[in-house]
Amino acid sequence: MSEAAVLGSSQTATSGPGQKSPVRTPAPQSGFAPWKDPSREPIVRFQNVVKRFGDFVAVKDCTLDIYEREFFALLGPSGCGKTTLLRMLAGFEKPTSGRIIVGGQDITDLAPYERPVNMMFQSYALFPHMTVEQNIGYGLKQDAMAKPLIEKRVEEAMTMLELNRFAKRKPHQLSGGQQQRVALARAIAKKPRIVLLDEPLGALDKRLRQQAQFELMRIQETTGTTFIIVTHDQEEAMTVSSRIAVMDHGEFRQVATPGDIYEAPNSRYVANFIGDVNLFEGKVVKVDGNFAEIDWGPGLARFKSLAPEGCTGDQQVWLTLRPEKIRIAFEKPSDASNAVPGKVVDVGYLGSISHYHVELGNGQRVKALRANSARTVERPISWEDNVWLEWPPETGIVVTR
Amino acid sequence: MRRWLLISVPYLWLVVFFLVPFFIVFKISLSDIATAIPPYTPTFDITDIRGFLSQLDFENYAFIFSDSLYVNAYFSAIKIAAISTLLTLLVAYPIAYGMARAPKEWQPTLVMLVILPFWTSFLIRVYAWIGILKKEGLLNLFLMNLGVISEPLTIMNTTTAVYIGIVYSYLPFMILPLYASLEKINPSLLEAAADLGSPPWKSFWQVTFPLSLPGVIAGCFLVFIPATGEFVIPDLLGGSETLMIGKTLWGEFFSNRDWPVSSAVAVVLLLVLVVPIVLFQRNQEKQREAA
Repeated sequence: MSEAAVLGSSQTATSGPGQKSPVRTPAPQSGFAPWKDPSREPIVRFQNVVKRFGDFVAVKDCTLDIYEREFFALLGPSGCGKTTLLRMLAGFEKPTSGRIIVGGQDITDLAPYERPVNMMFQSYALFPHMTVEQNIGYGLKQDAMAKPLIEKRVEEAMTMLELNRFAKRKPHQLSGGQQQRVALARAIAKKPRIVLLDEPLGALDKRLRQQAQFELMRIQETTGTTFIIVTHDQEEAMTVSSRIAVMDHGEFRQVATPGDIYEAPNSRYVANFIGDVNLFEGKVVKVDGNFAEIDWGPGLARFKSLAPEGCTGDQQVWLTLRPEKIRIAFEKPSDASNAVPGKVVDVGYLGSISHYHVELGNGQRVKALRANSARTVERPISWEDNVWLEWPPETGIVVTR
Repeated sequence: MRRWLLISVPYLWLVVFFLVPFFIVFKISLSDIATAIPPYTPTFDITDIRGFLSQLDFENYAFIFSDSLYVNAYFSAIKIAAISTLLTLLVAYPIAYGMARAPKEWQPTLVMLVILPFWTSFLIRVYAWIGILKKEGLLNLFLMNLGVISEPLTIMNTTTAVYIGIVYSYLPFMILPLYASLEKINPSLLEAAADLGSPPWKSFWQVTFPLSLPGVIAGCFLVFIPATGEFVIPDLLGGSETLMIGKTLWGEFFSNRDWPVSSAVAVVLLLVLVVPIVLFQRNQEKQREAA
């Protein structure tokens, strides 16, 4: 399948649910969506970019537009080609074929030091023989900028990241979190049009990482720069980015907003990669307007769900259902479109929420999630309980691959 | 107890093989020349320590410093050692740089090749240079056959030959510490420098070279210190014009059989070299702290 087709289908997935039910939107929206505006010129364009290392194809024919002021995430497991894509944009790798265009200028053949992008490295790559100040000012010095101006810009960057106290220290005298901030300050000090972040928070512990994520967003917003982040952490990608490209084996599987990726995945792969999901394999037996009836096994009640685009009868499909969308109850709901009985085999109590693993009649296990909104309940759902799972037809997404 | 034993081994070694010989040499330097075996007086006499000590004096030291031959030989040795150290650095740096940048699987082989010359005796290797540098030697034959020169070059028995000999002999001592410090440099630092707008030659001077400084310093000391006292190379390759303290010392011992004066020369040489040795130690210490 060509990359253009993947992108095409992802875009229909993006706009799909929105068009069908205009009143309902799946996730928080900022109103910032330059990719929907055909008059906007993208700041970065990957055009049919391919990268091979010997026999290994790291990036397969990728075409992608990224717009000014976006916080764009390249998300995927290790070895999916996301870092190679970023390194090609920085100029450390040359595409085997294809072009890379930044701000209308073809930069494919430019050396790294001639490109209007700055990168924050996974290992931070701070110069060990220079102080924090000198590290941050390094890029400005290369531009032969006047000394007072360099000092002013370094001061600005240090203030933005609260590094002023450490100005005279060497990198090895700083904690991991402080080093990470120096690396970020150095990447933004030149005020580049695009900042590239290669797993920027990978070395931090979880609590620091969450703090740093919000700091990244704050800085991206205040500087108005385009940020492109590479990460394997789906939560991180969901938190910080305006759009996510989910990658696998050098290909984009879906390019969409975090909300759309989560609520309208275009494939089993994407649904599985982002968050928890229950998958039901079945066949479409009837399409009725927006809804399809899915037969998922002999003798089992058919599911009713939103029909995928261009869905025909007798097509193999998978219903993807997020655990938190499933209601769990002792009694069979009277007016539910989709309800299946099962037995609780596992309960995970996390305080704010509880996880339930329910085994259905055919042996399939389903995860359901419930918020513990009341402090006490009359009779909590427990192991070995017979329960009913129920969900409305529009909560599940049917995918064909 | 075991700790103490462990530490005592190197100390014992130093006492037996460095301090004791040093004191013997120091004692001889305070004696007078004599036509005897051994060729100096007084010899150590346990029964008359007072009489023995009263015969020792610093006469030989006064003599060394009053005779410009010795002072010039010291300065000339330091000058030759310093220039050859610089030349060695210039030759070794690109080699070490190339090694550090070579594919990882090649590097052990390259290190092996650098130390391979040690498998042949140092003396024989210096002799081999005579065959290369002499008038009808390989180098002159080669250049004349190429038509680069019509007359054979006079390199043998000049200070130039000494420089060539020292650079050749001590090259591994420069390459290895340089390679060790260059190889440690994280390649992403150079990517970061390039990313921030620095072309490769600028990155070299701003990032690579400063970070290789510990290796540069270590290598320079490792070459400079032994080169200062070098006597085989100036003796075999140098001419009469080449004045080096090692050669003077050797002549004093074996041609003049003046053990007391040559011992004094050796002690002063040691004192001269204490300064760079202490500086070298300090550099090593600093590196260890940084690591």
